[in-house]
Amino acid sequence: MDPFSAWLEATRISTTMRNMTWLWPTCESIHFIGLGLLIGGAGYFDLRLLGFMRRVPVGAAKAFMPWAIAGFAMNFVTGTLFFVMAPHMYVPSAAWWAKVFFIVVAGLNAMFFETTLGTRVMLLGPNEDTPMSFKIVGGVSLFSWFAVLFFGRMLPYIGTGN
Amino acid sequence: MRMAAWLHTLQNSAFSAWVVGSDSIWAYPMILTMHTVGLGIVVGAAVIVDLRLLGVGPGVPLDEVKRLFPIFWVGFFINLVSGVMLFVSEAADKATQPVFLLKLSLIAIGVAVTVRIRRRLFGGGGASILAASAVRTLAIGSLFVWAGAIVAGRLMAYLK
Repeated sequence: MDPFSAWLEATRISTTMRNMTWLWPTCESIHFIGLGLLIGGAGYFDLRLLGFMRRVPVGAAKAFMPWAIAGFAMNFVTGTLFFVMAPHMYVPSAAWWAKVFFIVVAGLNAMFFETTLGTRVMLLGPNEDTPMSFKIVGGVSLFSWFAVLFFGRMLPYIGTGN
Repeated sequence: MRMAAWLHTLQNSAFSAWVVGSDSIWAYPMILTMHTVGLGIVVGAAVIVDLRLLGVGPGVPLDEVKRLFPIFWVGFFINLVSGVMLFVSEAADKATQPVFLLKLSLIAIGVAVTVRIRRRLFGGGGASILAASAVRTLAIGSLFVWAGAIVAGRLMAYLK
């Protein structure tokens, strides 16, 4: 085991949480519910950015984003708990690093949209096609979140160090 | 007993041996991952429909909510196929697992609720259907039933 994982797993918080046998399955259940909220809210907005469902104003399609963010928050918290409980499963895992990479990509993509393109959202009415820049942001987001899901679920099976 | 024998035949088939025995990530891991992709699509679409009916995103025309149902069914089809594959590989064990039967029941309820919501939306009446408390009950019920199905599915790995 790598020194960092060995250190973290020996800490009191890590051992205490591992001893609560119900905690891991509970966090998994929350993690999968969060997944549904995140894919639903973000995916819906991404589809509109890609130019689907044009009768929905872009600004209106964004109304579900707080629920996607809530789903992300649930998964960030439960994901952090998984990591603290069993870092050796993640630190040497190529799948986990790929997952983290795509979370960062999705995050930067969303920040770019909010800071650079966001103000143009409100100017776009119903029945209007989205500009290419919106389509790229929507495509990158949709791909990234499904990549996060893919590498998360494949985590026990690919690129594991043990 | 004939049922049990049949389930064992499924579980002992060459296909099952490949699903659970193969070292390939294209066997069990990929089927499992497709099942999670389908979960995201099914629950994602249902959540948007439910939230819209509960008043989130009032700017989304109700007519446009109908476009989410084909997405829902695509996800459902992915999970029906991947779910049957996962089930067959462990048929005899899963068929008697209470939490699996609970999951199947919740999915059946979830689909029935979704079909009823769809019927309401396609039945016309425009925004006035939102005033009906039955619609809100269906939407809240849908959210809880899908969350329950997810939890039951997850617990299949932990409960005998």
